[in-house]
Amino acid sequence: MSEVIRRAPEGVDVALLLEGTFPYVAGGVSSWVNQIIRAFPDLRFGVVFIGSRRSDYGDMRYALPDNVVHLETHYLHDDLGAVATAHERKRGQQGDTQAVAQMASLHDAFRRGGGREGAPDVLSLFGEACRDIAPGGRIDLEAFLRSEASWEVVTERYRTYCSDPSFVDYFWTVRIMHQPLWQLARIAHTLVPARVYHSVSTGYAGFLGALLAQSTGRPLVLSEHGIYTKERKIDLYQNEWIRDNRNVFQKDASELSYFRQLWIRFFEWLGRLTYAAADPIVALYETNRLRQIADGADAARTRNIPNGVNIGRLAPLRTQRPAEVPPVLCLIGRVVPIKDIKTFVRAMRRVVNRMPEAQGWIAGPADEDPAYAEECRNLVDSLGLTDNVRFLGMQKIDELMPKIGLVVLSSISEALPLVLLEGFAAGVPAVATDVGSCRQLMHGLGAEDEALGAAGRVVGIADPQSLADAALDLLNDGAAWQAAQQAGIARVERYYADTLMFDRYREVYAGALERDTRRAGACPFEHGAR
Amino acid sequence: MGSSKLAFAALLAELTAFYGLGSIESPDLALFTYLAAHAPASLLLALAVYLLIPLSRSKPRLSVLSLLFCSIFFVPVLGFVGVLVGALVRHLLPRLEAPSRFSAVRLPDLDIHESSEKSGAGFRQAGVRQFLKNDRAPVPQRLRAMVALSHAPSRIGSPVLRELLGDAEDDLRLLAYGLLDNREKRLNADIHAARQKLAACRSDDERSRLAQQLAALYWELIYQGLVQGDLLDYAVGEALRHTETALATLRDNPALHLQHGRLLQQIGRLDEADAAYQRARELGLPASRVVPYLAELAFARRDFSRVRTLLQSMQDWEGLSRLQPVLKFWGQA
Repeated sequence: MSEVIRRAPEGVDVALLLEGTFPYVAGGVSSWVNQIIRAFPDLRFGVVFIGSRRSDYGDMRYALPDNVVHLETHYLHDDLGAVATAHERKRGQQGDTQAVAQMASLHDAFRRGGGREGAPDVLSLFGEACRDIAPGGRIDLEAFLRSEASWEVVTERYRTYCSDPSFVDYFWTVRIMHQPLWQLARIAHTLVPARVYHSVSTGYAGFLGALLAQSTGRPLVLSEHGIYTKERKIDLYQNEWIRDNRNVFQKDASELSYFRQLWIRFFEWLGRLTYAAADPIVALYETNRLRQIADGADAARTRNIPNGVNIGRLAPLRTQRPAEVPPVLCLIGRVVPIKDIKTFVRAMRRVVNRMPEAQGWIAGPADEDPAYAEECRNLVDSLGLTDNVRFLGMQKIDELMPKIGLVVLSSISEALPLVLLEGFAAGVPAVATDVGSCRQLMHGLGAEDEALGAAGRVVGIADPQSLADAALDLLNDGAAWQAAQQAGIARVERYYADTLMFDRYREVYAGALERDTRRAGACPFEHGAR
Repeated sequence: MGSSKLAFAALLAELTAFYGLGSIESPDLALFTYLAAHAPASLLLALAVYLLIPLSRSKPRLSVLSLLFCSIFFVPVLGFVGVLVGALVRHLLPRLEAPSRFSAVRLPDLDIHESSEKSGAGFRQAGVRQFLKNDRAPVPQRLRAMVALSHAPSRIGSPVLRELLGDAEDDLRLLAYGLLDNREKRLNADIHAARQKLAACRSDDERSRLAQQLAALYWELIYQGLVQGDLLDYAVGEALRHTETALATLRDNPALHLQHGRLLQQIGRLDEADAAYQRARELGLPASRVVPYLAELAFARRDFSRVRTLLQSMQDWEGLSRLQPVLKFWGQA
């Protein structure tokens, strides 16, 4: 299902390729996108929003800035069940055997190409595949779904590689996994012209970027907040819908189910292909940059640009704080598994045992994963914390910050969380898990930064006991709390002001636009995205 | 049978053709008459033979039919006879043809996992923990070890997984988290469901049964090592509370008394635990289920001679394989 909400047929300067974020989902990445768009009023932005199903998202969570001149939405899973109409369905079509064989060799290259030495092979075959799956190409969606050649390849690969006995599950896994790629090819084909493409993740949005870069030759900028592939893996390790049909004789205890592996490899390759097409590849901090390189990114094209917050807006909140530190621990974030809200709730059990007046607030939308939100509420209930833990829903940071004593982050995976920076700027220290760049934000990176002191405490993941103790330490010791507050303010003002981030992105966009101009000058023909 | 009728008609037409050839004197007219009868005869025979051809060989239809027709029409006599004889032979000796409805497929490799790296798959029981904690071992192998560990009983696996939550490697940490979380999620869902039923329940019997179930679920959290610190205390408190609720009506349930004893022992109320174990024993729970706990209790009280006496009374029980090393140790004089 696709919809064009604002249209700029004449084209845009920067087309933002966004998967599951701005403007329909509130969160750190969405706020960042909003920040960036508003920071460059002179650029005309287009937004391509890619989501799962229309029903998973509500209304827009952000007012669209005026310089967003184009907005289109696409829901990949809404179309999965769409059945071809009778005239589209060509029964018994043969399919282009040669093109399908080429696609199979691309998959062979994927299998082989763990290291980067396999990459050139993969990339040339990928270029070919991009052309094949584009509308009018040699393998259209109908041919993938129903042609004999495609059936032959699927059955042959099942026999050769699949260690799960169920062919039915294999067949549908392959289908459901690949079908969105044709939808993305169609989106790439019809997108209005843009001078630069900017994706904020790898995955489907990144793949769309790679398709666009391939077909138009225009620059693709990639800014990765979390590492998409890694976050997908967390989902894949945890979810229970992927089946394992092996019986006790077929099972190798040390091997993940074949379908789980298949999905993991699929997303790994979407990532790799995006890295191959993008320049520059921006990470938020060093560990993530190294991870990108380990996942196949070319080191020379990677760089770090940390997040930043608006100090001018948040600093006045410090004066609104009460004299006493309020015994309120606040987790600001969406109620989703990756934030590990349950560990926060468990930690509250210990905090409340030691400090009965303490409150735990969870400020963030709970509609993204209703089942998980329900689980969290049940946990609050079964731990007897209904009087002390509250789910506040979405809150305005400016109203929330002066009322809380600590920002708590219990996530199992983060990049460079904006809420910590916002807390620091508003004069609230934090307790966070040791993920992403939290340690760097709390203790500093490099001697000069470290000298500013600790802006809070860092604890291990899924360790409610330590989380509670760290929070109690700060709440019970006024001097320690004050010291952490000062360190936080000093750090965020010196290293994480949004103006620094905007300067760096100005360079990135200027570079990419210049490359586009040079490319257009070198080539007498206009490569429209159409 | 359509085919034989067609063949018969063809034969008649062909005989007519030969008859015409022999009886008409003008050579031109004779040839014309012959061809006029030979052509339909050839067509009829071609159709007759075509119907005898197995489906798998009969396509493309037009080409096969034309081939048959041409062989019969253009090769005088021999063509007709040859095709007819061929069709008859084919029809009469069908069994000579090997059935070809099944095509051969390549056998899959004997071990489908052969291609993946095997090293690291054969973890010895004691090796997994060491291997997982070795941060210099390659990550894929450690991941495999962890997946293998996920099949181990929760009580054994959980502590190791918990240690790995602090690992430097993201993937390992996240997989460990996922495995632990799934276990806990299932138990917590059951606890929540039971609590809701208990809240809505009106009959005393049902309440006791649900309280017993809840106590068992909280105990499971403790036993599987899924709760620590204050949460452990909380789980013990809840389990104890529900056990006592259940005991209020199910006074003579030996298993409940045993559970009561274990919980009391967990929080250090040893005398009461002792009494609960004794009561379970009096109510008929077999010694094999109670004595190990009594021995543990004696150990906690530092009453080693009683530990020895109790365990020596168990020396003859063959069934307790996991206790054998303990029995052996305490059995030494």
